Amino acid sequence: MILGALAGGLVGTVVLTTGSRLAQQLGWTRMDIPLLLGTIFTPDRGRATVVGYAIHFFNGLVFSLAYGLVFEATGEAGWLFGLGLGAVHGAFAGGGLLSVLLPAVHPRMGKPWTDARDTPLLEPPGFLLSNYGRATLVWTFALHLAYGAIVGTFAALS
Amino acid sequence: MRIDGYLPLRDYAAIGDGRTAALVGRDGSIDWLCLPNVDSPPLFDRIVHAGGGCFELQPDGPFDADRRYREGTNVLETTFRTGSGAVRVSDAMTLHDLTTLAPLRELVRVVEGLQGQVELRWRFEPRLDFGRRPLRLRRRDGVLVAANGKDALALSTWNAGHGSFGLAAGERATFAMTHAHMEPLVLPARADAERRLEEAASFWRDWSSRLRYDGPWRDAVVRSALALKLLAFSPSGCIVAAPTTSLPEQVGGDRNWDYRFGWLRDGVYTLRALLELGCEDEARAFFWWQMHATRTTEPELRPLYCIDGGLRDEETEAPAAGYRGSRPVRIGNAAATQLQLDTYGPMLEGVWRFWAKTGSLGAARPKEIAALADFVASEWRRPDQGIWESRDEPKQYVLSKAMCWTALDRAATLADEGVLPARPEWRETAREIRDWVESEGWDDVRRTYVCVPGEEVLDASVLTAALCAYTDAGDERFQATIAAHRAELGRGPFLYRFTGADELEGAFLTCSFWLVDALARAGRRDEAAELMEELLDAANDVGLYAEEIDPATGEFLGNLPQALVHLALVNAAVSFAGEADER
Repeated sequence: MILGALAGGLVGTVVLTTGSRLAQQLGWTRMDIPLLLGTIFTPDRGRATVVGYAIHFFNGLVFSLAYGLVFEATGEAGWLFGLGLGAVHGAFAGGGLLSVLLPAVHPRMGKPWTDARDTPLLEPPGFLLSNYGRATLVWTFALHLAYGAIVGTFAALS
Repeated sequence: MRIDGYLPLRDYAAIGDGRTAALVGRDGSIDWLCLPNVDSPPLFDRIVHAGGGCFELQPDGPFDADRRYREGTNVLETTFRTGSGAVRVSDAMTLHDLTTLAPLRELVRVVEGLQGQVELRWRFEPRLDFGRRPLRLRRRDGVLVAANGKDALALSTWNAGHGSFGLAAGERATFAMTHAHMEPLVLPARADAERRLEEAASFWRDWSSRLRYDGPWRDAVVRSALALKLLAFSPSGCIVAAPTTSLPEQVGGDRNWDYRFGWLRDGVYTLRALLELGCEDEARAFFWWQMHATRTTEPELRPLYCIDGGLRDEETEAPAAGYRGSRPVRIGNAAATQLQLDTYGPMLEGVWRFWAKTGSLGAARPKEIAALADFVASEWRRPDQGIWESRDEPKQYVLSKAMCWTALDRAATLADEGVLPARPEWRETAREIRDWVESEGWDDVRRTYVCVPGEEVLDASVLTAALCAYTDAGDERFQATIAAHRAELGRGPFLYRFTGADELEGAFLTCSFWLVDALARAGRRDEAAELMEELLDAANDVGLYAEEIDPATGEFLGNLPQALVHLALVNAAVSFAGEADER
């Protein structure tokens, strides 16, 4: 089940990343996950995008491993169970990870305690990602549901 | 200064970053800016809609303004003098920065107190896509922010109050407007924004110092080169005809076109100018864009392509009042789908020129180039819309035929050199075309080439026949044509582009520079120099030109700054200086 979950994680991350890019293209959100992640490490936009994609895929696999462990522990897997885990994952990503934790650790993002010594650069996500567009949270949540369903399906097939 | 809310077009200067360009009015108002790219919807559109979007920054009260570009740069400096003192505003769009996370697009305005105390006011009023995409400005942590869909912008200010502020000598205020497209905003630190402005100035200075031209009128040539670099869309290499749409050829008229595209016809002038100035990287990029853009339509060529090489057929009308009531304001250019046979000559002349100068065909493929020549050989008899993109019935334009000759002659020359596959019919057809031009296109009574056989109209575009290799400038018929055109189309140093154009529009500045070029090539140097001096006097205070000018008032008309005019200026200077490495 774990190998299946990892395979699902790879496919799910592709879907999530592509869906996220599609949402940007359609003007539903300005959240650019690879850029946000990559600029933690480098100010160079080109490098940041490459690094960000790598981190995002790595995260996708790590989360799918966690999904796999849950499937193993419960002895159950399937798209619906995956969807449920995706809902938890989406709520965590949208409500905590991207909204709260990312700004806290991002060296180029303004925080409430940023002062004259710092040079805040990157627009922070704001409450529930609302700064990046009103549909950002909904879209992020929906993509994580899809990710969860894909991981659950692959895990069940293995 | 403003008439019904509109500045004279002569009062605009351009700043840019190689992706888009803003027009800054003499009164400190930025009235035109499309983001993220030059062909994107505008954020500031006041130049075509008096109540439209703008970024005003000016003294609060009467003032005099004096402008210049910092030497060798595209950084604009406007000095405002009031009864109580003077301030200088430096405007620039900044460039990519690898050392800090830079905004996707950034416009920086730095105000320095020079003397006394000056009260200033500013108004930041963006209007996205002519107001079709509403923006609501909110203040977030002291920064003005607005967003709609893919686009967001922020205005960070330092020492500039909330719409008004006073500045004493030695004090400084800074504005940084940043734009994000499909990504989070980047909000700059003051020091970074100011540093980037200075770095942009350094870049421009360094770039212009490398220009290879030591002939007369160097300042004007360098300014034109800088203007052309502003009009280059760096991601693709395309050079847009102008960064604006629908600035009218006649105030109140409807001859208003969108010039935010790259025209193939201009390619030969572009390549000649860039290569002669030593801008080989830009020439290569432009050539690459041409070859890639045309790959989707070959062997047929469209007159114009999008900046990314794509196609766009539709032409729509924007909800804007138009410059001093000149409507419509068009988005897109329906001329894109016209058959303009004169495009093929400059295209193949450009290919030949690029090959002659660099020894390679670069992005061009021999088979594709040969296909263009084959198309000309089979289609040259067709009527077309001509160089001026007439929207009437197609006609047998003489220049179109002459340029078909150029296309085939250049293809045959490249074939002789072994660069293209040999096609004996190219030379045969070229001879046939020349016979047609010399018999049908020549009016023996008026002693001139005509625009269309059987019509009375003269067309100044035939002056490009020497520039595009059809004829020698010293040729008797060409000399007679110059005389006839100056007599019929000339108004002082200016030329209308065709008979009857004075009823419709201003004089076409490019034609006058073509005339300088033709005179210089014919060895009539005194006349060429005199005319050049008069034309240089017609530039605005910062050395830029619009497409046209009213010969009576000197008022600019049409889109600006216009690439074709600046290209013609450079080429005329190069021809005069005898620096061109011709055939």
